This record gives sequence, C-alpha cells and structure tokens, in this order.
Amino acid sequence: MTNQSALIDRRSVLKAGAAAGIAGLLATPEPTWAASEKPIKIGMVDPITSIFAALGHSEIKGAKFAEEEINKKGGIMSRPLQLIVEDSAGSPGTAIDKAKRLVAREKINFLMGTVNSAASLAVSQFANQHNMLFLCTGGHVDALTGTNCQWNTFRTCSTTWMLTAGDFETLFDKFGKSWYFITTDYAFGHAEQADYEKQLKHHGGTMAGSALAPVGTTDFSSYLIEVKAKKPKVLCLLLAGDDQVNCMKQIAQFGIDKEIAVAGALIELEQLQSLPENARYGWWTAEWYWKQPNTPHLDDFVKAYRAKYKGEYPSARSWFGYASTYAIKLAVERAKSLDTMKVVRGMEGLVLPPEVALQPNAPMYRAADHQLMLSMFPGHVVKGAKYPDLFDVSSIIPGEKLALSPAAAGCKMTYPS
Amino acid sequence: MGLLLLFNGFNGLIQGAFYALMALGLALILGLNNTINFAQGAFMALAAYFSFTLTPYVGFWGGLIIAPLLAGALGLAIETTLVRRLYNRKDPIYTLLLTFGLAFIMQDMIRTIWGAQGKPLAIPQFLNQPLSSTYFFLTGYRLFVVGVALAGTAALFAVLRFTRIGIRIRAGNSDLETISALGVNIYLLRSANFVIGIVFAGVAGILAAGQLGLNPNMGDALIMPAFVAIVVGGVGSLVGSLLGGLIIGLASGITTAFYPAASEVVIYIIMGVMLVVRPRGLMGQEGLFE
Repeated sequence: MTNQSALIDRRSVLKAGAAAGIAGLLATPEPTWAASEKPIKIGMVDPITSIFAALGHSEIKGAKFAEEEINKKGGIMSRPLQLIVEDSAGSPGTAIDKAKRLVAREKINFLMGTVNSAASLAVSQFANQHNMLFLCTGGHVDALTGTNCQWNTFRTCSTTWMLTAGDFETLFDKFGKSWYFITTDYAFGHAEQADYEKQLKHHGGTMAGSALAPVGTTDFSSYLIEVKAKKPKVLCLLLAGDDQVNCMKQIAQFGIDKEIAVAGALIELEQLQSLPENARYGWWTAEWYWKQPNTPHLDDFVKAYRAKYKGEYPSARSWFGYASTYAIKLAVERAKSLDTMKVVRGMEGLVLPPEVALQPNAPMYRAADHQLMLSMFPGHVVKGAKYPDLFDVSSIIPGEKLALSPAAAGCKMTYPS
Repeated sequence: MGLLLLFNGFNGLIQGAFYALMALGLALILGLNNTINFAQGAFMALAAYFSFTLTPYVGFWGGLIIAPLLAGALGLAIETTLVRRLYNRKDPIYTLLLTFGLAFIMQDMIRTIWGAQGKPLAIPQFLNQPLSSTYFFLTGYRLFVVGVALAGTAALFAVLRFTRIGIRIRAGNSDLETISALGVNIYLLRSANFVIGIVFAGVAGILAAGQLGLNPNMGDALIMPAFVAIVVGGVGSLVGSLLGGLIIGLASGITTAFYPAASEVVIYIIMGVMLVVRPRGLMGQEGLFE
C-alpha cells in the first residue's frame, strides 16, 4: 500500500514537472511570421561558463535584447532574425567546435561573439576558412584588426591600443613616471603591456618592473610584495575578468591603494559589481557607460533593458552584443543580400545611427581594418560608490582620435578574387 | 632581497595553512569513503554562496557556522543516494566520475541560482586591514584563516583520537571488513565521515570567499592545490596532508621571490618529483600508489 502511494506521488510529481515544462515553452512569446519567411540566423559563440562567463552573459543579454527589438520592428528585410547562442567556455578549441556546429547544423548566415582574445583570433581564422562574416563582440587583442586582419572579420569592441591610449596621458601627468605592471599572461595582457610600454618610453617614463600572472591566479600577495619593494608611482593592472577582481581586493586588503596609484586599461561594470566597497578604486578606461548626460536615446535604452532584465543595468558588454546585432542587420540592409562579400562591403564604412551608437560620437566600422571607432570613456572609480553608479567618466574621446591608423596597426587587407 | 624572501616565505606559509585546511576534508573522504571527491571544490563554492545568502540575516560569523552545516546536509543526501551505491565497486574511477559530474552540475546550479556575475562576501571590517605597515601582508583576515586552520586541524585530530566515532573512523581506514564484523554500522560511519569532510570543505570555501570573492568557478581554482597537497603529503595520512599543504604553500611563496610566473607551476613540479621519488608521499601508507 505504501509502495503504491509512493508511485502515485512520483507520477504526479513527474506530471507537474512536464506541465511546467510545456507551460514554459508556450509562455515564450514568438512574433508571428509567415511560414515561408525563413529566419536570418546569427550564430553567437560566447562564454556562458568559465571565468569569462559574467562578461559573456552580458553580451548575450545585449544581443537578445536587440534580437527582440529588431523582430518587433519587422525583422531584417522582412525576415525574422534568429540568434543562436553556443557556449565557448572561453576556450579557443571549444569556440571553434561550436562555430563548426553552428555552420554545419544550424546553417547560420553570420557569426559573432567571443570575449577572450585567444578565442577571437581562432574564430576569425575559422570564419575565414568558411567564407563567413565574423563580427567579434568582445576580444581586444590588437592583431585581430591589425597584423592578423581578415576581409571577413569585423570588431565592435576596442583594440588594446585604444584602451591604453585612452587614459595613458592622464595617469602619467597625474601620478608620475615610474610604472609597475601586473599583466595577465596571454595575448590580451601582452598586447596591453606592449602598448603601454611604447607610450611610456615615448613620454620618457620608466619601468619599475613587471610581472606576468597566469590566467586564473587567485593569490596575488606574492606579486604585491614585489610591488611594495619596488615603490612605483603607478601600479598598472592589466588583468582580465575575475583575476582583476581578486588582485584589486588583495591590494585593498594590504592597503597598497592608499600609497600607490592603481590604474589600468580596461575596467568593466561586471568587475566593479563583484568588488566589495572598500576595493572599488583606481583609474581606468570603460568602453561604454550607461550614464552619459545628453546622449540621445540612451535613457530609453537603459530603461527598456532594465525592464527586460529585472532591473539590471546594461554594461559595455551588453552594448557590444546590442550594437553588433544591429550592425549585422544594418549591413545586410545596405547590401540587400546575405552574400558574405556583399555584407562585408555593406559593413565597411557603416556608421552606427544614434539609437544604436548610444554615445555622443558616431562610430564607424573603418573600411581599411574593419575596426569600429567606438568612443573611449576614461575616468575613475569613486571611492565608496554604490551600484549601479560606480564609475565617474572624465571624458568621452572619439575612437578615431585614439586608434592607430590601419597601416600603423599593421593591417594589410586582402580579399578573395 | 633577504627581506623580500622572508616576506614571501611567511606569505607562503599562510597560503599553505589554507591549502592544508582544504586538503584535510578531501583526505578524510579519500580515506574512509575511498572516494576521490572531485565535487569537493563545488561543495566549497556552495557553502560560500550559502553564507553569502545567510550573512544579511545571521552575520558573517553565523554564516561561517551555518553554511558549512547546510553543505554537510547536502553532502549527506548525496552520499546516501549516490556515492553509497558505488562503494562495492573496488575501482575508484566510478566515484571519481560520479563526483566529477556532480561538480559540473553543482557549478551550473550555482550559476543558475546566483548568476554568473561574481559577488563580494563581506568580512568584518576589523579583520580587513593590515596589522602593521611593514608586515602589510599580514592582514587580520589572513591570520584568522591560519587560526581557523589550526583550530580545525586540532579539533579533527582530537575527534579522531578521543571519541568513539573517531576511533571507529581510524579503525575503518585500516580494515573496514573487520569493524563491520564487530558490529559497527559502516554505512552510518561512512556517512558521518563524508559529512565531516564536506563541512571542512565548507569552512575552507567561506574563508576563501572572504579573501577572493564568490564566483561559480571558485571551486576549480581551489581544488587542485588541495589534491597536490594530498599527493605530496601522502595519500591516507591526515598529518601528511597538513604537511603537504604547508610545503607547497611555502614553495610557491619562495618561488615568487625569484620568478613569480612559476609560482603556480612549482607545486605541480613538486608533485611530479614526489611521485617519481617517493610515490606514497611523505607520510602515506605503503601500497596505495606503489
């Protein structure tokens, strides 16, 4: 008897579960399109897991937000847009596997995504072999639109050079000549440090020292002991993701931020959010910020985004996902075709309209190297600031003022004949 | 250079105490439960997230006590429903695969419930500052971690030495069949042992989160040094695990004085050398790896 009732119990639980599942499926609102209208598919390869997950999630949220907006307004050339997301786990190998699957099984029209530079370079190479447009959302390594530039690859986020140029002079003038670098030991960090060193040399500064930290370093105390011993004026952190968070926390615990100016190239809202209040400090560059006085359409965007994502504020990563999705739509509409070469030509010189750009300047995908000339937002973290207003932007610098020329960046674009 | 070396050596010992604390829980479960618990890191992370959620209601100290117990309760559920079924299979690969899978499930569960975004775990302000400006790397919190590691170890050894359950655990480690024949309920004993191991992981996880913050992947970074500590110290020996943790911490600290980039690699080099020269580890039982 007891057995029987246990059986019934389990069954009803299963039924309830199935019902909930079906209800979940039905609850997703789908715009109604005629059956003949096949969707235009963008495959997005971004980290949903791994240490880059927080950044990947923001990019995906931004892209999904754009997908919804675009489909509400009639899709792309009256065809629905479909975004298919795959997890790259932040690894170049996995990113390629997933890109392969998207191309072979989902028959996607365009590729976009990637957060970490190594994955960006790998996917760019893959897309080139498959004659497919790849729009890199978030990998910063210079080479992607520099020495390794490809006719089919575009990039929405900035180059490491733009990140370092954004705040170098301010830091140099304000804090001093002797710099110490703690740099993440992969393409992104190496590129950033090389860029800073070049500018430091050019301005007559000195290197107090530098250390390479492997990705995933959790204990920075040994590095910081070395920093204390060298007594630099500026401690420049060129770390990514959670590594930067860990390092900043330990700097605060050791009280080093009170003696040495801590600065660096890139800061992300995601990182600031995961820091405790006493570890929010320093001078950095953001690539986009949700709070800009007098920028048209920005407040509407922030409001709608927050309404969709439970009050969460959009980060620069959200904007990358959002702007990239729109950029593909605009390029396709310019090309009036889905042919890769035609869409590439459509994206070359494409200027993002104000409702997509969401910044005072009008960023353009430069034709010669396919790099978006997005603005840089150097500034500092206000001590004791509370979410979401964590960053004080000191100026918004148009990207073309900071970026190297395509020739100086080493890009020689060749097209298939 | 001398001062720098001293700094790094001290710092390494602090780090080592931390590794030792993590390794103890792992070593306990490896011993009596014969399980290479790959989910130990996930349990650390889970306990840390529990304490994050509890802190607003019960404070840091309340969280430090309650969260590991909650993780222990989950550990009990997992041990009785899943791990237990595999005890009869002699090959440890089964439990290894099971816990490996569990680690992924738990990590994704954390990501689903609390989000991929990292979170700070607030620690009491009086712990969160250096004790002196010369020895700035000695923050109150780090000393506190060392204190907890010492107290936890002492408590564990006291339990194993002086209580009935502790004596049974040790007896079970050397001959499970005999104590079973003597009327000890070995299922209960193994469950209790598993829970103690998880509670240790929980405490270590919360302490780590206080220093490093929370993110769903935090267990990954913490579990490898704990494994290395066990291999170096000797599989099957709790004192060995403790020693192993301290040794790799110290080695990693000293390496940093000369070549920071190698500070993480050096612990694996030590493990490699140990496996070649003395596979049973410093104080391990003969025959486990030989």
